[in-house]
Amino acid sequence: MTSLIPHLVNGLTLGLLFALIALGFTLIVGVMEVINLAHGSLFTLGAYLALSTIGAGWFAGTPFGTWWLELPMASRYFIGLALGPVLAGLAGMLLELCLRPTYGKAPLYGLLLTFGAALVIEEVIRLGWGTGEQSMPVPQMISGAFLMGGLIFSTYKFYAAGFAIVAILLVWLFLERTPYGAIIKAGAHDSEMVRALGYDLARLRLIVFGFGSALAGMAGMVMAPIWGLRPHLGIDVVIPAFLIIVIGGVGSFWGAVAAAILVGLATGITGAYAPAWSLMSMYILLIAIVGFRARGLLGRRSALEN
Amino acid sequence: MAQSKISRRRLLTTAAAATSGLAFMGPWKHTRVYAQGAAKPIRLGITSDASGQYANSGAEDRRGMQMAIAEANAKGGVLGRKIETFHLDTETTPATGSRVAERMITRENCGFLIGAIHSGVANAISQVAQKYGVIYLNTNSSAPSEAGQNCHRVKFVFDANGSNFAKAAVQASIEKFGKKWVLLTNDYVWGHSTAAATKALLKQFGGEMVEEILVPQGTRDFSSQLLKIQQLKPGAVAAAIGGDDQKAMRQQIAQLGMGDKPAWINNQQDWPDVYGLPLDNLFGVFGTTWYYNLDLPGVSDFVKRYQAMFPDTFIRVPGNVFYNGYWATRELFAAIERAGSTNNIKVIKELENLKTSARDRMQHHDAWMDPNTHQMQQSIYLCTANIGTKDKDDMFKVLGNSSPQEVMDSDAKGACKLESYESTPTFDA
Repeated sequence: MTSLIPHLVNGLTLGLLFALIALGFTLIVGVMEVINLAHGSLFTLGAYLALSTIGAGWFAGTPFGTWWLELPMASRYFIGLALGPVLAGLAGMLLELCLRPTYGKAPLYGLLLTFGAALVIEEVIRLGWGTGEQSMPVPQMISGAFLMGGLIFSTYKFYAAGFAIVAILLVWLFLERTPYGAIIKAGAHDSEMVRALGYDLARLRLIVFGFGSALAGMAGMVMAPIWGLRPHLGIDVVIPAFLIIVIGGVGSFWGAVAAAILVGLATGITGAYAPAWSLMSMYILLIAIVGFRARGLLGRRSALEN
Repeated sequence: MAQSKISRRRLLTTAAAATSGLAFMGPWKHTRVYAQGAAKPIRLGITSDASGQYANSGAEDRRGMQMAIAEANAKGGVLGRKIETFHLDTETTPATGSRVAERMITRENCGFLIGAIHSGVANAISQVAQKYGVIYLNTNSSAPSEAGQNCHRVKFVFDANGSNFAKAAVQASIEKFGKKWVLLTNDYVWGHSTAAATKALLKQFGGEMVEEILVPQGTRDFSSQLLKIQQLKPGAVAAAIGGDDQKAMRQQIAQLGMGDKPAWINNQQDWPDVYGLPLDNLFGVFGTTWYYNLDLPGVSDFVKRYQAMFPDTFIRVPGNVFYNGYWATRELFAAIERAGSTNNIKVIKELENLKTSARDRMQHHDAWMDPNTHQMQQSIYLCTANIGTKDKDDMFKVLGNSSPQEVMDSDAKGACKLESYESTPTFDA
């Protein structure tokens, strides 16, 4: 029997990365009640856009491109980390504009539209960057590995987990401590009241969708050095993200974080001791939790439960 | 303005239905080369993956077929008949493979089926093909069971299999890296049957399997498995991980600096799975059936033909998957010409007698089709990363080659029970 502790650490790290993936997804579902099936594609698009920024793909062969590539890798990486999510956010805003005619109609319209958008984004990626596997470079200071308890761990993975913690806290602080966060939360609770108070609901939705999509793009950029980059990566992302928000309770921010950590621990532990079950573990977790508590870990009580 | 409220339950139910739909949808494409003469075209059903874990390899496999088809059509076709193709995405899913094969034969009048990367898909297609007597060329899937327990009279396997590759690598690796091995196995038919071949060779040459770690298809994060390997401290890891999973695994091993120790023995290395990756991701020793930089007659012309036909393709030089797709298609056409007919039994007999010189195939040894297993017996090249190269395409350093006799899968003949000619339905394309 091998030691459990490294696998618990690994599971926790994985969980934080899952939380980063689910963050934008849960925000959009919570505020807009739209299941954005293009979330995974926006995740992938953000990563590709960041890749082109880092590698000067936009300006390859020009004097600016040459100058750009002479900059330190760390500078280019962090500029990519800023630009990729912003561009993914803009793509998300465009998608929200397309979604507008579906508001107030059966959810299937929104789902089909976001599903179609996912296919379109994937094809755009194929056309723009090709079908082959690409790898995301990382700066020297966060690459490599370190020893802990006699075992080797990836420095980058711990950086990504730390990044996820900071991102989660910042998003939470934004929602809890800023006036705009309060409007977003109020919009999630009762959008008609927000409109009645004079706030522009259409603009609120546009911003929330853009922000959620930017978070997806940021997660894509952070996860790309671990998972690699390929056009159909989105499918690997949207299903865990969906499961996590259901396990955590739809619309619950901390529910999603807790669910992501549970999914990470389940994947990590089964990956070590029963690897054939590692991908299945998140589905088993879903059945176990939703079977006993239909609204998820921290979901709001439904009228039917009263 | 009133806005209708949508129940959470309704939203989630619809989302679940649509999300599950994602896994089953894929593009499909119909390509027609219109017949220019009176003769009925020969319809070739291309059964390769355009989505899923082996989408990239499926595309490379198709390019190989396309080049062979274009060359045949440029010469006036086969038996004076143009070749028409019909492609459906097999989605790296056996159930889809089965459905696609059924439709190609019964509704699209395809006279031959060709293409496979995933062995489960190939097995599913071949069962349908056998039912109708339609010849099926398994171009690139390489589970030993494909030419063993799952062999069929109508199926011909053109890639080397896990057992061939293991024979080329295991004995020398035990001597070099020690007896203590961990097996990292993709949890499906190719992984299992390749691992079984490795286990048998470990036993034969005095190695010890410390543990076999099964990895589900679609795994993106290998950290748990890599931590486990560190704790077990093996001398070597025999990895049978394919497609996109392998790309993710290679990147993660390189990040951890685990590429040199333990030693990694990757039985088979498909070109699309590593092309474009940094060289430090290409650690270990691995096998292939062909490399674009082999110093043999005809190779450079073959590369030029590939580049002329696919000038915009990301993969700038042909690899083993392209090579197998090309040769399987070409050998099918040659067999039809030799038979002077598209009658399935006549063509099967020609394919069973197939022999190709080393020079023609651009390999180091003559190759032939084993009539007992329907697997192409060919050269195996053992390679490692070409560290220090300035040419980004020249990623492999060829360490040596083995003849087909040296690496023959000795268990296949006993496991394969081909259906008789009489019990195979007659089919004429």
